[in-house]
Amino acid sequence: MNPLIELTDVAKTFGQGADAVHAFGPVDLTIDDGDFISFLGPSGCGKSTLMLMVAGLLERTSGQIVLGGQPVDGPRTDIGIMFQDNTLVPWRTVRGNIELQLEMRGIDPTSAADRITVLLQSVHLQDFADRFPYELSGGMQQRAAFCQAMVHDPQIMLLDEPLGKLDAMTREQIRTDLQTLWMQQKPTVIFVTHSIEEAVQLSSRVAIITPRPGRVEKIIPIDLPFPRDFEVKNSPEFASYVRDIQEIFRGYGVI
Amino acid sequence: MYVTFRRYSAAMASSKKTSFGVRVLTWIERSWMFIVFFIGFFLVWEWSVTLFDIPRYILTPPSLVVEKGWADLDRLLYYTYITGSETVIGYVAAVVIGLPLGLAIAFSSILRRTVYPFFVCIEMVPKIAFAPLFISWLGFGLLPKVIIVFLVCFFPIVLNAILAFNSLSEELTRFCRSTGAGPVLSFIKVRLPAAMPQCFVGFKYGAINATVGAAIAEFIGSDQGLGFYIQIVTGNMRPDLAFAGIFFLTLLGLALFGIVTLAERMLIPWHISVRRNKT
Repeated sequence: MNPLIELTDVAKTFGQGADAVHAFGPVDLTIDDGDFISFLGPSGCGKSTLMLMVAGLLERTSGQIVLGGQPVDGPRTDIGIMFQDNTLVPWRTVRGNIELQLEMRGIDPTSAADRITVLLQSVHLQDFADRFPYELSGGMQQRAAFCQAMVHDPQIMLLDEPLGKLDAMTREQIRTDLQTLWMQQKPTVIFVTHSIEEAVQLSSRVAIITPRPGRVEKIIPIDLPFPRDFEVKNSPEFASYVRDIQEIFRGYGVI
Repeated sequence: MYVTFRRYSAAMASSKKTSFGVRVLTWIERSWMFIVFFIGFFLVWEWSVTLFDIPRYILTPPSLVVEKGWADLDRLLYYTYITGSETVIGYVAAVVIGLPLGLAIAFSSILRRTVYPFFVCIEMVPKIAFAPLFISWLGFGLLPKVIIVFLVCFFPIVLNAILAFNSLSEELTRFCRSTGAGPVLSFIKVRLPAAMPQCFVGFKYGAINATVGAAIAEFIGSDQGLGFYIQIVTGNMRPDLAFAGIFFLTLLGLALFGIVTLAERMLIPWHISVRRNKT
C-alpha cells in the first residue's frame, strides 16, 4: 500500500492577532490507497475543517498536504466530495444533477450515460432518475448526491457527515450501500462523522479527533471482516471497539 | 347539488389532461367563499349608498360606476394606454439596467463598497418625493413619468439582485470550485439559476409599485393618463368616473404583476414558491 494522502504539521487558525482562534492541528497523518478512514470527533473539533483543507477548498495556516504525489495548493478536482447539506440543484432531475458534475468538468454527459445508470442502480435510484430532488425523501436525496460525487470516478472521496440529517433507519440502509460501493470500487474515503458506531462499522481505521483545538489523538485500526453486516455489528468485538472509543471521549468530558 | 358538482369536478380533474373549463371549475370550487364575499362587498356598497342616502358627488354605487365608465370608455382606454406605456417602459428599463448592475455589484468589491451603500441610502428616500423635481426639469411629457416609475422599481430590483447573486450556499460554492469549472461556466450552470428566485422577489415588488409611481407622477403634473383623469374627475365631483379610473389602474397593475408571475412560473417552475401555488 502506498501512502496516497500525507499530512505534515497541518494547522488552521481563524482570524489574526489577539482574536485568532486556533481551530486545528498540528496534525500528521498518512492515509493509504484504498483506506476508509473516519475522522471521529465532537462538533466543532475541526474535522470538517481538516477535510476541506485536504480538498484544497480551505487554506491551511501551516503545514503540507500531499495528495497522490502532488502538493495541495488550491481546489483539487480529482476527488469526490459530499456534504451534510447536499449539492443537488433544485432545477435539475436526479440524472441532471449527476450530469452537472460532468458538464462542469467539460465532459459530455451522454458519454457517461451507462455509468450513471449503473451508479443509480447501485443506490436503488434507477426508477427515480427523472424525478426532481424535492420529490425525493432525505435519504434518497443523499443517495443521489452520492452518485453526483462519484460519477467522475474519483480515486479519493471526502464525505462530510453525509448521513448527518437522516433518521436512524435510513442511515443504517445507506451505510450498507456505502460499504458495498466502497468494497466494489475501493476508492480512498475520508468519512467525517460524530457517530462512533458509524465510524466503527464503515472504517478500516478511525482517527480520533480531540475537542478544539482538534488534534488526531489516536488512530484505531478496526480489525473486523467486511462486509460488516448484522452479525458483525452484534459481535462482542464490535461492541468492544465502540466501548473503547466511548472511553476515550469520556476522558475528554465530551460524553 | 353541491355534492354532485364536487363529484363532477373531481372526476374531470382526475383525467390526465386538464382543460381550461375544468381548471375554472376547480378554481370556483376552491374559492367560492371568496367569490361570494367579493360579490357581497359590492352589493353592500350598492345598497348602502341608497340606504344611507349618500350624495352621488361623495360616493356612487358600483352600478353607476360601470354605467358612466362605459360611456367614457374611449377616454379611459386611451389613458390606460398612456399610463400603461409609462409603467411598462419604466419597469422594463428598471429590470434591464437593475439586473446586470446588481450582478456587477455582487461580484465587484469596489462597487460593493461604493455604489452599494449609496443605493441602500437612496432606498431609504421616498422616490416619489423626487417627482415634482423631475416634472419641473423635464416637463409634462412621458419622460419624467418613465423616470419616476424607473426610480420606484429600480431599487428593489437591484438590491434583490445583489442579494440573489451573493447568497449561493457554501456547499454549492465549494461544489463549483471542486469541479475546476471556470467562472463563466459556474455562473451559467449554477449561480444564475440559483439566483433567479430572489431576483423575482425584486421583479414582483417592482411590478406592484410601478403603477403607483406612474399614477402619482401624473397627479403631480400631466395632461393625460389615468392619474390625470382621476384627479380631474374628482375635482369635478365625479366619484363615479374616479372609480372607473381606479378600476383601469388596478387592471394595469394586475396585468403587469400577472406577466411577471407567468414569467416566474415558466423560468423557475422548480422553485418552492411556484410549486406551492400549483394544484
